[in-house]
Amino acid sequence: MIDSAVIAVQVVLLVLGCLFFAVGTLGLFRFSDTLTRIHALTKVDNLGLGFIVLALLPLAPSLAGGVKMVLIWAAALAASATSAHLIARAVHVRPEHSAVEEAADD
Amino acid sequence: MQSAPSLPALSLLLRGAALLVVWWALTLGETSALGFGLGVTALVAWLSVRLFPPSGYRLQPLGLLSFLGYFLTRSVVAGLDVARRLLSPALPVHPGEITLTLHLPEGSPRWLLANTLSLMPGTLSALLEGDQLTLHCLDTREPVEQDVRETERQVARVFGLSLNDIGRAVQ
Repeated sequence: MIDSAVIAVQVVLLVLGCLFFAVGTLGLFRFSDTLTRIHALTKVDNLGLGFIVLALLPLAPSLAGGVKMVLIWAAALAASATSAHLIARAVHVRPEHSAVEEAADD
Repeated sequence: MQSAPSLPALSLLLRGAALLVVWWALTLGETSALGFGLGVTALVAWLSVRLFPPSGYRLQPLGLLSFLGYFLTRSVVAGLDVARRLLSPALPVHPGEITLTLHLPEGSPRWLLANTLSLMPGTLSALLEGDQLTLHCLDTREPVEQDVRETERQVARVFGLSLNDIGRAVQ
């Protein structure tokens, strides 16, 4: 009984996580400039991965396994914040250059 | 309100202990890997103290807990906020930039604030020069500055700092 309740919650969390990833990717298409796109990718994907890790936690083989999953999420967060900042900084430092590149992309 | 500079030896020990926990998690608690792990974590802890000398700030456990709670709830708000805007047919965004003067001291506190803000609702750290932080905002009509100041307060508590004069925009 409790098992099936846990599985139901896991399924809901997994679906939610995947939906957030899908919405984050949608941001790449709907938003028109680099910086706004990064907003979508960092924040929504962070939430998506968070939900997926939360869903998988009850399946962790051991305490160490659970900690490992949380560490994966933390590492992804740190990487996403850092790369978002680096891209934003690059756009900021050379705005005219990125405008040309974006025009070429479209 | 800076705490006493920490000893390199203490930093070495604390970082080594933290790295050992990471090693334990990465190897799924495998005992046969522990000996090798001890060697690796000792080496990495030594290297980290060489490359990133102790800053003199001591992390406050209570402040860290409060920061984690704040960070998690605001992350959820951030994700929902962007998702709501994206799924709305009108695409209600009003992007723009603001530049703020930070009250936090340079080094780890500013670095943590800039990275945290990139994951908070509606803000993205674009440029950090001295105490001037330029943020790209998803919607400049939102009270961005208020959110930044709250995040700044949370970061200050992590490092046991107190901020007295919070709340004035430069631009």
